[in-house]
Amino acid sequence: MSIAPKPHSALVIVGHGSTENPDSSTPYFDHAGEIRRRGLFSEVHCCFWKEEPSMREVLYQVDASEVYIVPDFISEGYFTQDVIPREFGLSGPTTEVGGKTLHYCLPVGIHPHMTDLILRRAREDAPETDPAETTLIITGHGTGLNQNSTKAIRDQVDLIAASGAGYAAVLDAYMEEQPFIAEWDKLSATPNVIVVPFFISDGLHSYQDIPVLLGIEPEVGPAASQREVFRHNPHHLRGKTLYYSSAIGTERLLADVILDQISDFDQTHKSL
Amino acid sequence: MKIASTLEKLTQNGIKQIGEIRIQTNSQTSALNKKYTLCHWQDAGLMRELNFGGLVIHEGSDAAREISTYAEDGAYRFTKGQVNLKRGWVMLLADAEELRQALDLFYPACLGLFVAHQNGSLDVENLRDKLNRQTGMYRFARSISDAGAQDLVRKVCGPAHQCAKRILWKIDESTPLEDSEASRFNGISGDVPENEAIPLLCREACNHFVSECRRVAKAEFEQKAG
Repeated sequence: MSIAPKPHSALVIVGHGSTENPDSSTPYFDHAGEIRRRGLFSEVHCCFWKEEPSMREVLYQVDASEVYIVPDFISEGYFTQDVIPREFGLSGPTTEVGGKTLHYCLPVGIHPHMTDLILRRAREDAPETDPAETTLIITGHGTGLNQNSTKAIRDQVDLIAASGAGYAAVLDAYMEEQPFIAEWDKLSATPNVIVVPFFISDGLHSYQDIPVLLGIEPEVGPAASQREVFRHNPHHLRGKTLYYSSAIGTERLLADVILDQISDFDQTHKSL
Repeated sequence: MKIASTLEKLTQNGIKQIGEIRIQTNSQTSALNKKYTLCHWQDAGLMRELNFGGLVIHEGSDAAREISTYAEDGAYRFTKGQVNLKRGWVMLLADAEELRQALDLFYPACLGLFVAHQNGSLDVENLRDKLNRQTGMYRFARSISDAGAQDLVRKVCGPAHQCAKRILWKIDESTPLEDSEASRFNGISGDVPENEAIPLLCREACNHFVSECRRVAKAEFEQKAG
């Protein structure tokens, strides 16, 4: 979907960030750079919960009086519903704060176009596999504390299953709640399995923790940027052929989903 | 006035450093027609040499994030105010907007904070307010004593502990920080006069400080219990 240029508006992309893993914030800067190159906004900035600039400080570096805030988060939940509104002082879709008009968009992960990104990623990582003999597993963190954290993944599973992509099965699985990703081989009846991590970055969970749960790595290894080579697919494990992709948020086209959320915001909340 | 325009004016009026970065304003015919040249302040002498004295040349602001992510020893600089910025590079920037983008990557929001501080619109958050809004595992940080927090400032903040920022916050509105090298630091690295540098400002305690508050609060609790 194309978006009309907004030369008088700023875009602020919100991410989680990490005090331990520098790769965690890389996709946010990549997405910001991609959108900045297209010249659609007067400014494009990133801000973080765990890195600088913080949500409380980023607006000091924004010149524009109209700001679109897009959570580059994978699901609706604690961060998008509690933390981000609190940190920016938001009270609804549009809030006036300190002389600026802030528009709060929905998180990228719940946009329907994420389906296209997952299918594209699965095809790229396992181009030779026959979908009819392949199980596609979308995996996330999962927590018993917030049902919303898994809803985005379950929605994608339903959308892909109905998309006609032809996979023998499309499943969800999680690090910390059932069905567990560690049991990927028991969950899958097919000889081929593609696992797509539904995370924004190749950070601690998707690059270091999940490979251990899958059996690719014996123990938690260094961050992606600290390794000389990315892992090579496929992995022959537990009697199956496993393809493990990088986090869906590292997909360059996620920049388009950020713009899609802004476009959807305007259609829903602004009379154009 | 836009932040880039303010920055341009500041450099015209003699500002030449922010944090550990030296800002050189070039004449139109020098430095490959780039208006600004940046480097680590300790490499400033090399900027005037042929081919920048062997410094690695970067055009545009894109490399700023990569340069500022790791220290020379490979440590991850998750707080950009750390005084361990890598040396050995020079960055050529076309105009004030590119300069602003580079500095926003090297020192996120610091230009904006400085401008807001100058015009009296900076909202400083004292430590108690910061700790009282912590949730989850960091909620426990709230129970740190004033004495524990004052001691932490001496042990965690300031250039002796790798932070180049000037602390603006207090413990609470009626409890200023006790005098120390850390609380006294003006936010300017090296020997640049105050009127030639943009200080790095700390308007609220960082995540690292909050994490340390939690550690001390737990130790204080265990000491009382024991």
